[in-house]
Amino acid sequence: MSELAAEDFAPQRVHPARATLKRLFHHRLFVTGLALFGVIAIIAALAPWITDVDPNRLSMRNKFLSPNGDWVFGTDNFGRSLWSRTVWGAQLSMIIGASVVALNAVFGTLIGAAAGYFRRLDNMLMRVNDALMAFPAILLAIAVTSVLGPSTLNVILALGIVYIPRTARIVRSSVIVLREMEYVQAAVAAGAGHWRILRHHILPNAMAPMIVQLSFLFAYAVLSEATLSFLGVGAVPPTPTWGNIMAEGRDYMRDAPWIITIPGIALMITVMGLNLLGDGLRDVLDPRLRIQQ
Amino acid sequence: MIRVAIGRLLSALPVLLIVSLISFGLMRLIPGDPAAAIAGISATPAQLAQLRVDLGLDQPLLVQLLRYYEGLVQGDLGRSLLLGKGVFAATMERLPVTIGLSLYALVITLLIGLAAGIIAALRQNSIVDQAAMMFAMIGISVPSFFLGLVMIIVFGVHLGWLPTGGYIPFSQDPLGWLSSSTMPAISLALLQAGLLARITRSSMLEVLRQDYIRTARAKGLPMRQVILKHALANALIPIVTVVGIIVTLLVSGAVVTEALFSLPGMGQLLTQAVLNRDYPMVQGGLLLVTTFLVMVNILVDVLYAALDPRVRYE
Amino acid sequence: MKRSFLASSLIAAAFALPAAPAMATPFQCPTRGGDLVFGQEANVNSLDQMTSSTISTRNIAMNIFETLMTRDENNNPILELAEAMEEGADGLSYTFKLRHGIVFHNGKPMTSADVAASFDRYKRIGLQRSTLDNVAGWDTPDPFTFIIRMSRVQPTFIEALSSFSVPIVIVPAEMKDDERQQLRTIGTGPFKLLEFVPGSHAKLGRYDGYQPNTAFEQRTGFGGYRVACLDTVTFRIVTEASARVAGLETGELQGVEDVPTRSLASLRSNSNITILPLQNWWIQIALPNTATPPTSNLAFRRAVQAALGMEDIMDAATDGNYRLNVGFQYPNQPTYTDAGKETYNINNAARARTLLRESGYRGEPIVILTNRDYPAMYNAALVMQQQMQAVGINASLRVVDWPTSVQMSQQVNSTEWHFFHSGWGTQPALGALATMQFLVSPGANYRPRDDKDDPDVLAAWNDMNNLRSEAERNAAYARMQTLVLERAYAYPFGALTKVQATRATVQNFVPFRIPRFSNVSMTR
Repeated sequence: MSELAAEDFAPQRVHPARATLKRLFHHRLFVTGLALFGVIAIIAALAPWITDVDPNRLSMRNKFLSPNGDWVFGTDNFGRSLWSRTVWGAQLSMIIGASVVALNAVFGTLIGAAAGYFRRLDNMLMRVNDALMAFPAILLAIAVTSVLGPSTLNVILALGIVYIPRTARIVRSSVIVLREMEYVQAAVAAGAGHWRILRHHILPNAMAPMIVQLSFLFAYAVLSEATLSFLGVGAVPPTPTWGNIMAEGRDYMRDAPWIITIPGIALMITVMGLNLLGDGLRDVLDPRLRIQQ
Repeated sequence: MIRVAIGRLLSALPVLLIVSLISFGLMRLIPGDPAAAIAGISATPAQLAQLRVDLGLDQPLLVQLLRYYEGLVQGDLGRSLLLGKGVFAATMERLPVTIGLSLYALVITLLIGLAAGIIAALRQNSIVDQAAMMFAMIGISVPSFFLGLVMIIVFGVHLGWLPTGGYIPFSQDPLGWLSSSTMPAISLALLQAGLLARITRSSMLEVLRQDYIRTARAKGLPMRQVILKHALANALIPIVTVVGIIVTLLVSGAVVTEALFSLPGMGQLLTQAVLNRDYPMVQGGLLLVTTFLVMVNILVDVLYAALDPRVRYE
Repeated sequence: MKRSFLASSLIAAAFALPAAPAMATPFQCPTRGGDLVFGQEANVNSLDQMTSSTISTRNIAMNIFETLMTRDENNNPILELAEAMEEGADGLSYTFKLRHGIVFHNGKPMTSADVAASFDRYKRIGLQRSTLDNVAGWDTPDPFTFIIRMSRVQPTFIEALSSFSVPIVIVPAEMKDDERQQLRTIGTGPFKLLEFVPGSHAKLGRYDGYQPNTAFEQRTGFGGYRVACLDTVTFRIVTEASARVAGLETGELQGVEDVPTRSLASLRSNSNITILPLQNWWIQIALPNTATPPTSNLAFRRAVQAALGMEDIMDAATDGNYRLNVGFQYPNQPTYTDAGKETYNINNAARARTLLRESGYRGEPIVILTNRDYPAMYNAALVMQQQMQAVGINASLRVVDWPTSVQMSQQVNSTEWHFFHSGWGTQPALGALATMQFLVSPGANYRPRDDKDDPDVLAAWNDMNNLRSEAERNAAYARMQTLVLERAYAYPFGALTKVQATRATVQNFVPFRIPRFSNVSMTR
């Protein structure tokens, strides 16, 4: 499949940054996405200043308060402030999402570029890649977090292992096409080293699909972390991640539905913002790339 | 086309070998005592010690690995520690649940996704288009477990329209199956429907821009015929790819959905197996599931080759 | 001295049902028929009652299978498939006279050959086969006599034999060689298995060939006079608590277990629903790791003991549905004692700080090991952490899953954890003997260094097992409980209540260790 996508993939001139930015900020989806995501990101960044209660402080006398004037988002079964927990949860979601994206940007590019550029490595790398992609993603993540033990760092690593093969695959398809381009061949003929060719001629042109992929990846990472925590194999409780809050509120969904609804909506806004952002980036940077896994 | 199929099948073998190695290794690395998982909260230390001996968990790793491959060669996937029965038999017991659920979800996905995508493309930039794309955007942004929970609260708990969980086999009571599977299928299908709607729309738009469509329309062919005969046929190529991806996602999504709605399918079987350290079940079950998914991908590639003569594989 | 069990079982029956007139007729179904669906919280993997110790298996299987001896409502041993039992004067034999006319679900009459074959299978693969460690063998002199020969005297043998933890259920002789977890589901009980779909449901139907035990007039505990009134009972696995409650409200389910406390208020106001609290479901407990500092230090362990406030811990663990309880037995049990009660629920921060200074504690990190598979344990650990922090202990949580926490807690001389959270359900219900095995090697939950028991605790335990008179054994238990509490080898927080509920149409459903469906009927 990816071979085909690569076949009619033409090299693009690197967009002059300013023109690209201008086009982005005139793109309605991008701006909407940026706004949604931005709000959550700002709240996440301001967490220490906009919450006054420790998200883990128990207060058994105040348990199960529905949202009201004193407790904006209400309290949970331990009387913990859901405002504090949701806001700190936003911060953790951002950290986890950004870390998974960073891991993918580095290792996905390295593996993808190595496989696409050095044909001898290709077969071996891609078979392992295929094997990792053949597992149902969530089961692989459950198994990996079970091995590593529950913690925020391990969730990041597990999601890295699940998603890096997918990123590597996209980078590889771009690199394969770019490697055959005349200007790259000319550089090879001129005796340029592999590193130089990769760095100066291939990777810059493979950036566009990467950036688009990474913006969607951010969304998947946030979503997957919540799912893992919800299934009880994510960040270690009582860490206030959205998935943890929802998992702990699950037994009370009938009588205290706000516990799961509030982080659920926050999660939805974040993911939707990122998806819109990704759509905008794709339209502007890489209009030909359509199929997103 | 047959050559494509054979080539892909051969290249799948090393992948499956690696899959089997990874699942073997992962399970042995997971800390935790299978005996404690199997014996449950009320077991005494003496019972746990007894169970460990009974399960033969004291063999060296290499011996266990060799036994595993020896069994595989003879077509024996091993025996589940938790269920006491063969891995293949246990899988076959649970498979109909997941297949039924996935098919139901696939039907919903195709109906909603294709319809929304086609209508949006035909009425590009209209209100209908925007509404459809808004829906698709929500679809790909709502976590399926959250959607499931909300549906349980609303339709199960408060309105009481649909059962909140449990499974009724189709063979026993088709209507009961339909009512017990509807919420899980919807929560599973929404993401994929959103995905499909987006792809269908952009593929259709691409095709509608092509010269031959314009020609066909200029010749005065009825719109309906143009869409069905020309546009849709050509838009089908990327759509087939996405359906392949969707099948993979459905199997993955079933893990969460089955857990939420307590459906006795493959997803539950494998999740429980991982959480209970049921080594043979995880190894064998994962191998079966990945084999199935790899086969789906091969099928997609072959279909692709059949639909689009330009595709040539090395 | 020959002791006959026939007489004492009748006494036990009379005790269980003080309201029943002396010569009343046995229980009769007020109505017959009906299909009851019960929402069960935990998955069932196998119905092999000989090799499975899980509560979820017992829930279903104990309506299908029966044993020679079981326990009554007050946990006293009673006869079930035997009509009499005599202990030899030397304590080296037990002779059972089997009841006549018992027929298995497959139509075959039960004889001593079946009993012997069942014991053979249990000896081979039964999970609690250590019960038979002091048994030399068994004989079947005639079709209705079964004799157990002991290799040494074990005063507690009948207590062990009648245990429902992993009972020796009696099955047809041809099932002797059935593999582990693969026992064919054919018993002698009032219900027979119609259909079992693991992960989904098990459907039981009335067994018309059932022979009620006429030594009794009413159901008691796991035995007594039992009869199936309902046509079918379906155990449906509904893991989501809210879904169970919703199912009960809509009438999809006629009974459920483990109702969340939060839902009780609205259910109580619903006249279609009967709430049935099952007190003393388990003892919420934490155990220290005495192999590693600072929990190896008695003053430190006592400091923690002084810091704990049981109301908050139990409130969080149960959402408010609990009873404060000292020690390892419940007040309604014959062996209950509140010995050592001055160690319980001290909740005195000043005293805790003093003890802490005495112990020389310098802010070393303390790890509380817990899991989220059992929310009560996680919740209790969270509050315990906060109470320890409040007196200046640097406590942190380590949340893993249940299998991992058990594995970690059982490592000899582990330095990775200091307090392990658990819940003791089945064993306290079975009695002091079953419970206190958790406090001696090899399974001592407080993990003494190199697995070397505290000699005083061990001495008390040996007395509990070996003294011939029951009163002496009970006194030994009181000594052992006091030692364990005073030396802070365990922190029992209190007794957790598990709430069951049924539709109001369901009659005579009395909560017990399992949901019992004999003598339960439904009005239309």
